[in-house]
Amino acid sequence: MSKPGPKPGKSAHSHHAGIYKADAVKDVAESLGITNLPEAVASALASDVEYRVHQVVEEASRFMRHARRTTLTTGDIDLALRTLNIEPLYGHTPHASTTFRRALPFPNMPSAGTVFFVEDEEIDFDKVLREEKIIVPKGVNWTAHWLAVEGVQPLVPENPPAVPREDAAPPLAVNGKSPQLGPAKPQQTSTPQTQPTQLVKQVLSRELQLYYTRLTSSLLPPSTAPAETAKRTAALASLRADAGLQALLPYLVKWVGEGVVGALREETDGEQEGRTLEILLDVVSAILENSTLFIEPYLHQLLPSILSVLLHASLPSSHAKHLRTAAAQTLGRVLTQHSTTYPSLSPRIMKTLLVALLGNTPTGKSTTSTTVNGFAMDTSGTPNGDGTRAPPKPLGTREGAIRGLIGIGKEAVRKGIVEGGGARIVGEEITASGGEGITSVVEAVMMALDTLQPTSGMPETLDPSQEEDAKLITQLHDLLGDFFASRVISRGDRDWAAGLVAGVSD
Amino acid sequence: MSSNTPAASSAGVSPSTTNANIQEISQNASQVDRLVLEYLRARGHKNAEAGLLEAIESGSTEVAGNTLSSDDLIKGLAVFAQKPSRPGENVLKDSSSVLQELSTMGNPSSIQTLIASLGTAGAEEILSLDPTDKHEGFRELESWVEGSLDMYKPEFLPMLFPIFCHFYLDLVQKGFKEAALHFHATFSPSLAPAHNVTLHHLSTLMLPSHVQNDDLAQRFRNEKYVIRMSRSGFSLLIGWLTEGVGGETPGAGEGFSGEKGKRGRAAVMRVVNNHLRFDVTSASATSVSPNAWEESTGLLSSLIPTTAAQSNGSSVVPNPHTFNSSKGELKLGPAPISEELRAETERVLREQAMLERDPNAQYDVHFTRPQPLPGVVSPTEADLLPHPPSFKTIDVQREVEKVRDARKRIRLDPSVLTSADLNSTQGTSARSKALPSICAYTLHDVGEGTPCCTFSPDISLMAAGFSESHIRLWSLKGEKLRGLRSDASPDVADSSGISRLLEPDGSSTRKLVGHSGPVYSLSFDPLGGSAAPPKYLLSASADATTRLWSLDTMTNVVAYRGHQNPVWDVQWSPMSTYFATASRDRTARLWSTDRTTALRIYVGHLSDVDCVRFHPNSLYLATGSSDWTARLWDVQRGTCVRVFIGHQGTLSALAISPDGRYLASAGEDLAINLWDLGSGRRIKKMTGHAASIYSLAFSAESSLLVSGGADWTVRCWDVRSAGSQAKPHENGVNESQMFRPAEEGNETYDSFLALKQDFSLRNSTDLLATFPTKRTPVINVHFTPRNLCLAAGYHLPFEPR
Repeated sequence: MSKPGPKPGKSAHSHHAGIYKADAVKDVAESLGITNLPEAVASALASDVEYRVHQVVEEASRFMRHARRTTLTTGDIDLALRTLNIEPLYGHTPHASTTFRRALPFPNMPSAGTVFFVEDEEIDFDKVLREEKIIVPKGVNWTAHWLAVEGVQPLVPENPPAVPREDAAPPLAVNGKSPQLGPAKPQQTSTPQTQPTQLVKQVLSRELQLYYTRLTSSLLPPSTAPAETAKRTAALASLRADAGLQALLPYLVKWVGEGVVGALREETDGEQEGRTLEILLDVVSAILENSTLFIEPYLHQLLPSILSVLLHASLPSSHAKHLRTAAAQTLGRVLTQHSTTYPSLSPRIMKTLLVALLGNTPTGKSTTSTTVNGFAMDTSGTPNGDGTRAPPKPLGTREGAIRGLIGIGKEAVRKGIVEGGGARIVGEEITASGGEGITSVVEAVMMALDTLQPTSGMPETLDPSQEEDAKLITQLHDLLGDFFASRVISRGDRDWAAGLVAGVSD
Repeated sequence: MSSNTPAASSAGVSPSTTNANIQEISQNASQVDRLVLEYLRARGHKNAEAGLLEAIESGSTEVAGNTLSSDDLIKGLAVFAQKPSRPGENVLKDSSSVLQELSTMGNPSSIQTLIASLGTAGAEEILSLDPTDKHEGFRELESWVEGSLDMYKPEFLPMLFPIFCHFYLDLVQKGFKEAALHFHATFSPSLAPAHNVTLHHLSTLMLPSHVQNDDLAQRFRNEKYVIRMSRSGFSLLIGWLTEGVGGETPGAGEGFSGEKGKRGRAAVMRVVNNHLRFDVTSASATSVSPNAWEESTGLLSSLIPTTAAQSNGSSVVPNPHTFNSSKGELKLGPAPISEELRAETERVLREQAMLERDPNAQYDVHFTRPQPLPGVVSPTEADLLPHPPSFKTIDVQREVEKVRDARKRIRLDPSVLTSADLNSTQGTSARSKALPSICAYTLHDVGEGTPCCTFSPDISLMAAGFSESHIRLWSLKGEKLRGLRSDASPDVADSSGISRLLEPDGSSTRKLVGHSGPVYSLSFDPLGGSAAPPKYLLSASADATTRLWSLDTMTNVVAYRGHQNPVWDVQWSPMSTYFATASRDRTARLWSTDRTTALRIYVGHLSDVDCVRFHPNSLYLATGSSDWTARLWDVQRGTCVRVFIGHQGTLSALAISPDGRYLASAGEDLAINLWDLGSGRRIKKMTGHAASIYSLAFSAESSLLVSGGADWTVRCWDVRSAGSQAKPHENGVNESQMFRPAEEGNETYDSFLALKQDFSLRNSTDLLATFPTKRTPVINVHFTPRNLCLAAGYHLPFEPR
């Protein structure tokens, strides 16, 4: 060249010479035993390979187009190779790729070359016969629907929702789940719920937003005016029975949770808070009662509210007993409704309650919000600034735990109060506290004991002089502690006391 | 010649002027060489002499100063290898004349293309050959086009593409792979997106041998690329091309006309001279519509069949319009029906009117006479394809039903929409008058895919062909599909006997097995029309066969072999004895059901014939092809009578209007073109689809066109309105984007669709309505004679990534 122009190799500053690299060709050559393949040859071969691949792909894309598809399949490539008079690549199916194994060399017939075979899975007949019947997928079928009626697209589930305008969202497209088209569409039902990565932004319709504001404003703040009470009753009734509130559920749960925390934070021992909590518990039970709601995913958010009310140390005195009872009942309902589908639910609640009942480790910091077994709760309420002489769990919490156990059932009570020594601990604390505000705790314990064993119709007093009775009394003292043993004895019901003891020794 | 010239023993004045050069060279050569040369000349071995001479010369010049590149050597050798008709002429001094001569001799294309790439500028140019020329030249051309007046830009822009292609091919051909890639990467993004397919295809060519073997590259090389330009625009171009070259001496001047610029322009000039042909029109630049270039630009000469007139004068610029008009008038009117059949049909109609006491029915009678449209010539009986002279009961039934359909038809008149305000209540009633009701049939669990799905003319059956090689038939009425028993005795006395012949049990679906490749097209026989269920089904498959299935026995009756490659499409003629197929082997064929060989082969397309449709009077056959054209063939003569150029991609669907006047074609450029069959001119281009269009159908009055495609929509188009490119929506969101499925997985929406969204997707104003479906590519749209629209598609299961 007479002119010192830039050499072609240099001018292409980006050294991209196609998709298929010369190195790949060299690798192949080495695998065939050609070690010193010149760079120029390799790059030329790479270019040629790329061209051939493009040729095949262009041919295959025709088959794809005529098959009315927009994705290229291995079948298309196969057909393209066949059409171009090239031997197809065997063993590539679009469904499941078969794996080939190389057979052992065949000594009798070396001309056969390398033989590959598909490995068959060995199937055990007994196993197959024992297994349930395999459901054969239904074949191709069709459904018909009106795409347009006189130029207007009907809003049927088979048609996509109308083009969303800025203000109105499509009503209730829950989690992007589209209404099912036909019975034989297993694919479509695989909604994004099974794919946690997919986040679908859900828009609350204007109607639901309005409903939500109306609902919450009519429930709170609590007022005793008759008009307000009627409104509240109507709101709760609507919550209890209306369908289509699923989209509101997370908001309601959050609202309840915030309301409970807010009410419990208040230092004052006021009527207001008590009533607020009462209403919130009503809301929770209404939600639980509504059969159209799918509440399970929100249980873990709802439970802390219930448990907080139940185990809070200092509830407003006027409402404390009622609140704890209601909370315990709600808890019981949750367990009966959902313990089958949520198997870890009852053990977790049980454990929480037992910790609240038996935990006598003086908590240095009177926690405002502790996480017990995954349930974040607000169990304190007596902020204890100094923290030096922190009492064990306050009696309120004990009482709540006991009521909770009652709500759960007889077994829970036996385990907590009798076997776990709940009664003894509570008894000791009662004696230590000096008798202030103990009535409700005592009542709760006695109620718990009542659930264990029905009182007999004809009570017969215990006679400590008799040997049998003396033994019973000792056992009672062992089980329940002095305080409650004396209470039981003073009840004067021999059969009942014996039943309590017998229940444990079973 | 110099064969009898006495051998000159020493250097000096040769008596033969033709030998002057040889003498000069011989001076430099050794004594032995000279002697050999003399000997060869004396014996008349001109080839050997020339070869030796060349060898000596090149050897000496290389020694002298390495001024000749190896390219030049190859060129020189090529010249000599071809036995020049005037030997002894000084080849190297006047290379242009040799090149001219060579190009007239019909050399192997390799050498010819090589020479063509060398151009006419001679050896000097070759010496300074440099890949950066092309880069520079194209950059200059681009900036010149960009800088030109707005009124000329639409004329100049189409020119960039062919020059780009030739430059790229030149670079590849000369082995400058890196430079070619760099060139492609630099300039291809700025070219019109319509060329993306071609550009991508070119980018796959990387070695000289690829250029030699590739069809498209060879077409670029061997054909002239036609560009339409106005007179003033053309003179501007000439001015620019010659400006630097003509006026100044090489090397002088700077900037735009500097050495580099000059060489770049010379490169452009070479391509313009060798590979472009300008169709200079006297029309002013502004009067050309923006889409007109599609029809008159491109490698037209091979697309348009040569006619007698054209072959005489090769200088005529190929133009589809001149071809179309040279083919004379077409007989596009409705097919006549025989007098007896009509009389019988009228009699039956009258009888039925009496029976039903329907006062309207008596007016039906006049429908039996086909109504000729003004300005359209109707064919006579003699023009039709041969058919049996007598008619059968089913013919009468069909004709009667046709008349009844015409009376009971839902009238669709899209023109009412243009006057009405769509948002008012008036608008909704206008919609109901203008737009059809569409019933969508969605297939579920189709597995590998459903290439085709079709409805019988009486809507009693639906058939779908599958990639797994089988065909499935459904009764849409829910009746049982029962074939004849294979073991039944043929003697039948009464109707109960017939039912005994049928298989005892059946279901409303049947599977037809016979093909060994994906089934790409299905067609029900139209004999019964809307009156009776069809008796036969045709299927076309990738196994290169077309099969005829009897719907009485539910078995395969005939396999028609003849095509070399997959058969893409099959359609019955409206007369039902004949059918046509389209194949990858670049032919369409006409068959008769009673013969296993093709009756006619329609050859002329340059690539796959992708779709085929009969004209309603069965005189003509329309084909759409991967060479981006549609053609209309005379069925009987087998000649091409119209060619429709304008699509910028493979054609994917065709439809001919029931009144026989229009052809609608859909291409991979996502446009639907409407053509006037009579003149062969494009009426309008309709855009709006966001992905491939799979099917087109006209309403019975030919006033409405419905299309379905891979963008999961069915769209309705107004045939009669003028139609133009709409302005983009005010908020900048075009409708197709809004229709991207909002609720189900945007991410599964193929990325190529997103790519295609970027350009030319503005809805044209004649798009009346868009009906989205749920993840259902619409593979067939069909109008019943009563104007109910049916759409078939398969549901794409949601695929988590």
